Amino acid sequence: MSQINYRTINIDQLDPESSANFPMETLLPPTLPQPETSSDAANVATQVRQLLRGGDTEGALRHVLDTAPLGGDDRAKEVHMATVIEVLQGIRQAEMTRVLEGVCASNGGAERADCLMKYLYKGMSSSGSSGGSKNISPQATGFSQIQARNVGEGGGGQQMSVLLNWHEKLVELTGTGSIVRVMTDRRTV
Amino acid sequence: MASPQVHHLFHAPIADHSFSSDRQTLAVARENNVELYQTSGNKFELSDELKGHDKTVTSVDIAPNSGRIVTCSQDRNAYVWEKTPSGWKPTLVLLRINRAATFVRWSPSEQKFAVGSGARVIAVCYFEEENDWWISKHLKKPIRSTITTLAWHPNSVLLAAGSTDSHARVFSSFIKGIDERPEPSAWGERLPFNTICGEYLNDSAGWIQGVAFSPSGNALAFTGHDSSVTIVYPSAPEQPPRAMLNISTRLLPLNSLIWNGENEILAAGHDCEPFRFQGDENGWQLAGSLEKSTGAGAGPREESALNMFRQMDLKGQSQVDTKLKSTHQNTVNTLRAYDEAGGQVRSFSTSGVDGRVVIWST
Repeated sequence: MSQINYRTINIDQLDPESSANFPMETLLPPTLPQPETSSDAANVATQVRQLLRGGDTEGALRHVLDTAPLGGDDRAKEVHMATVIEVLQGIRQAEMTRVLEGVCASNGGAERADCLMKYLYKGMSSSGSSGGSKNISPQATGFSQIQARNVGEGGGGQQMSVLLNWHEKLVELTGTGSIVRVMTDRRTV
Repeated sequence: MASPQVHHLFHAPIADHSFSSDRQTLAVARENNVELYQTSGNKFELSDELKGHDKTVTSVDIAPNSGRIVTCSQDRNAYVWEKTPSGWKPTLVLLRINRAATFVRWSPSEQKFAVGSGARVIAVCYFEEENDWWISKHLKKPIRSTITTLAWHPNSVLLAAGSTDSHARVFSSFIKGIDERPEPSAWGERLPFNTICGEYLNDSAGWIQGVAFSPSGNALAFTGHDSSVTIVYPSAPEQPPRAMLNISTRLLPLNSLIWNGENEILAAGHDCEPFRFQGDENGWQLAGSLEKSTGAGAGPREESALNMFRQMDLKGQSQVDTKLKSTHQNTVNTLRAYDEAGGQVRSFSTSGVDGRVVIWST
């Protein structure tokens, strides 16, 4: 009896009716694509880099969003995330609106916009935690106009300002609905 | 299009509202009580209060023909209120649930009503003559979470339910001795109690906040916390639906929706104004807001010089912009048909967190 401290037992985990045991996989739609591995994601990254080198930024963004590993493992998602960030950073601010309109207007554009929004939020959450190594002031990441000045300052801050720029442009195009869907959608990126 | 009739009843959220069929009485769920309002001229005046629940009342519904009122509350109870010469008399309903009751609606036949709950069941309640009280049968499987909303099929047997497990489902609530055997339809042919006639999940998931059958009963619409509206056209029993159309909007999530004919849906929610969706089996789209584009605001805004200086004096600013441009000043919780004939809605009513009930013409 003295072995177990009964007060620390998580009784929710023992109760099959408890919300802690809610089967999250029931929220995934049957249309979920096949699981992908990190090598698939790396192949996509190579293709996307080719498109980028060829100057087809719109095509690169479209391709990278269409191939999002919604059913993939964490590693595949990480690799793909890096590719998306690379594409987003490779597009100049003046071109953002034009590229976005192109990517979101065509068939399936609404899904692409929602997918991009997921990457923006994921990017903002991860670059916030990894950016602790450099002395980036929190203000520098919050305002897009500082972008030009903090170029040499470090990866985290610059990445954040790029993401915020994209976020602003994307919300103009797709409204708040897209942000809400990032929260509800269980097909995470 | 006439401008909407606004009734600002009080400064508290309205969880649900219901008009009597003659539209003289309005029942409003306010905190632990239900308030009954009578029309007098252009206004509604408080005439009676239904007191009995000891926690927040979550839903109220007036049966159009019998005039009975059913209420349910977070205290896990539901009451059926009947008018007697000495006032409204409540009858307790045997719900047998151990979590809050969240939503209640009379079936079109008025022989039954369904109560959704946090106990992952829907209690389908009917009157038992022998014992002289309302008893319930539970729809349980395969509900995995709280039921947030319900809607009845015109045949009073099929029941649509939306849940926080992100699924919209269609159940049979057939009760022997109460219901007549329903005509076979695309939803099913044989319909014993708790038959699952459909189970639908959006790609982007999200808690389901509103469900509704089309006037014919041959299509189902639901809306959820992913800011989208989904319309399902069933094909045949046990078959995947003929069409399942999802309109993802750029709006904040919608809470409640109704059909206006077979080709139009009216919905409202966190954007504080009603929207119109139009389409058919081949495609649906958002047709726009029912709010006038200028947006009169909740009351006429004074722009006189006197008012400007008064504002500057009182608040240090010349303009107060704390008012939304919409008629409702906060989230709309419930949208209901107000004047309906043959499936066509001529006007509908909305109520919300701002304590207003607004009647709109379509």
